[in-house]
Amino acid sequence: MNEFLYGVLPYVAFTVLIGGTIIRYAQGERGWTTKSSEFLSKDDLKLAGPMFHLGLFMAFGGHIIGILIPKFVTEAAGVNENMYHFIALAGGIPAGVLFTLGFIMLMIRRFSNDKMKVNTSQIDKLLYLILGLTILTGFAGTLSGMFNHFDYREHISPWFRSLLMLSPEISYMEDIPIFFRLHMLLWCLTAILFPFSRLVHCLSFPFEYFCRSNIVYRRK
Amino acid sequence: MKIMAQVAMVMNLDKCIGCHTCSITCKNTWTNREGAEYMYFNNVETKPGIGYPKQWENQEKWKGGWQLKDGDLSLRTGSKLDRILKLFYHPEQPELEDYYHPWTYDYETLIHSERKNHQPVARPRSLITHKRMDIKWGPNWEDDLSNGESARNDYNLQKMAQDITLEFHDIFMKYLPRNCNHCLNPACVAACPSGAIYKREEDGVVLVNQDGCRGWRHCIPACPYKKIYYNWKSNKAEKCTFCYPRLENGLPTICTDTCVGRIRYLGVILYDLDAVKAAASTTDPQQIYSSVLDVIKDPTDPAVIESAKASGISDAWLRSAEISPVYKIIKTWKLALPLHPEYRTLPMVWYIPPLSPIAKKIEDRVYLPDSKEMRIPVAYLAELFSAGNTQIIYQTLQRLLDMRTVMRRKELGEPMPQNMEYEINTYEKMYRLLGIAKYSERIKLPAGLQGVEHDKLRELQGSVGYSCPGGYC
Repeated sequence: MNEFLYGVLPYVAFTVLIGGTIIRYAQGERGWTTKSSEFLSKDDLKLAGPMFHLGLFMAFGGHIIGILIPKFVTEAAGVNENMYHFIALAGGIPAGVLFTLGFIMLMIRRFSNDKMKVNTSQIDKLLYLILGLTILTGFAGTLSGMFNHFDYREHISPWFRSLLMLSPEISYMEDIPIFFRLHMLLWCLTAILFPFSRLVHCLSFPFEYFCRSNIVYRRK
Repeated sequence: MKIMAQVAMVMNLDKCIGCHTCSITCKNTWTNREGAEYMYFNNVETKPGIGYPKQWENQEKWKGGWQLKDGDLSLRTGSKLDRILKLFYHPEQPELEDYYHPWTYDYETLIHSERKNHQPVARPRSLITHKRMDIKWGPNWEDDLSNGESARNDYNLQKMAQDITLEFHDIFMKYLPRNCNHCLNPACVAACPSGAIYKREEDGVVLVNQDGCRGWRHCIPACPYKKIYYNWKSNKAEKCTFCYPRLENGLPTICTDTCVGRIRYLGVILYDLDAVKAAASTTDPQQIYSSVLDVIKDPTDPAVIESAKASGISDAWLRSAEISPVYKIIKTWKLALPLHPEYRTLPMVWYIPPLSPIAKKIEDRVYLPDSKEMRIPVAYLAELFSAGNTQIIYQTLQRLLDMRTVMRRKELGEPMPQNMEYEINTYEKMYRLLGIAKYSERIKLPAGLQGVEHDKLRELQGSVGYSCPGGYC
């Protein structure tokens, strides 16, 4: 079971994520959009939208630091285990609160408003379920760090890096707390959904806007 | 000097009867789809009024168009960085209810009702949620001032710092048909983070690339005319296309084609691309009108023709520019004005301001009143068409009055007035074009596909149609 969950599923997820996104871009760019619903319901987005996205950026940054940077690097930089733990919680809890609360507010908005219900597709609903559970298990994992000390940087981080090196070390993932197990499964499912959902707009952040002239002319 | 061609439109407001045929044919052609129910690429407003969407002229609210900041032209909605921060929530974004909540009626109840004591009623139903709804506002709720008080909230009146009376003997109104202005300096294009909106080099039509649009919606508040719409179903921006598939085949836009009052003129003008930014940056907004006239170039000037050929404008297009009715009205005779030039987008849909009703002083036995005595306050027209410069409105109205004076005297066999601004036969030409011109005189577009000569088009007969006939597109 572990072999499938930690040795096969992540690669399936990566493959679908990258391949599916390329195919969607090539075949269905016309449907590639943020799917913004501010037009249908504006007031209740004012807090929830920025909260959710800020929480997301903070959480994303935290994952980069916690997973991609090996422990010996931070320790060499003079950050010991206690300091790291403190920093992770000091950043992780506000991020989790913003992310989770923003998500819940967005979901209340989406499912309590007639105009929004019409604008919610089946794939949206599936995505919200999986994404919501991913966020909740992730936040639960962060919070659990306050009580029992499970050092994910000894287990999950080296495993994830071994995935990236194409030689998965499944042994790291034995005896992982339940929240983290679920979180691993759920992020794989989110990645599989990514190319087929509105999530693709993450890739459309308009960096090129800063480099272009104001007025765009094109020939027919 | 870099000469570019632009298809421009003139609307003669004196002749608009407010029938909405343009809006309806446009709607049937372009926006009768799910997600586009509320859109009118072309709509006709009764002025004074708050319009569609509500209060579209209030740029304090929407931050549309351009402004001069320390002498530099910048988008009123903020710098690029400011606007990136608005990606997750854009405070100046209009909502569906700012336009209106689109509806249909339960027509089936009229047909399938059981036998009852009372006649069945078709009740309104939302086209968005498909639930019963109360109609509170519509795309033309103020038609012929029918909403009464909302006319007072017209933003132009606030800027004039004047109240108007809704008493019958002093009331005034006019119609204002509006579609995308296909501006020379379009704010929507500049605001698009994805670079999906562009101005076509060949004819100046501003289009949204439906593949490239990511639904960031920054174009919508940025357009000061609120002529870009968000499709809530496809989640992309849509706008008036100037019926480009028709233009490419030498046909006018559908609103022009079907206009009952024959108020619309369509033709080619040549303009100097290098002068656009300077004209849009004119310090005094009341002078923008004359700056734009300088950007529009004389199609008979050899230097202009040479530069036009250098930038690849075909002979067919140059011929169209030479005989362009809109060039005559806008530049030669100076009869048309841009809508809200102070937005600095340099709109290319122009308006001949209305004289009617001219008989305000009928009790004084004056047939043609002075331009200062019009029923529609000149200050109001100035807010709409010249950034508040009443002098420009007086001059324009006076030319129209002069034309009527000349034609009246000619008809009555009276001696012609002396010291007119133009030659007598110019006024006769003016009368012909504004009053009785046929379809072919009002609309002068290069025949056939862009840049493709007529003979070549003949070779294409029997090919697949305008999608890509003969591989010329």
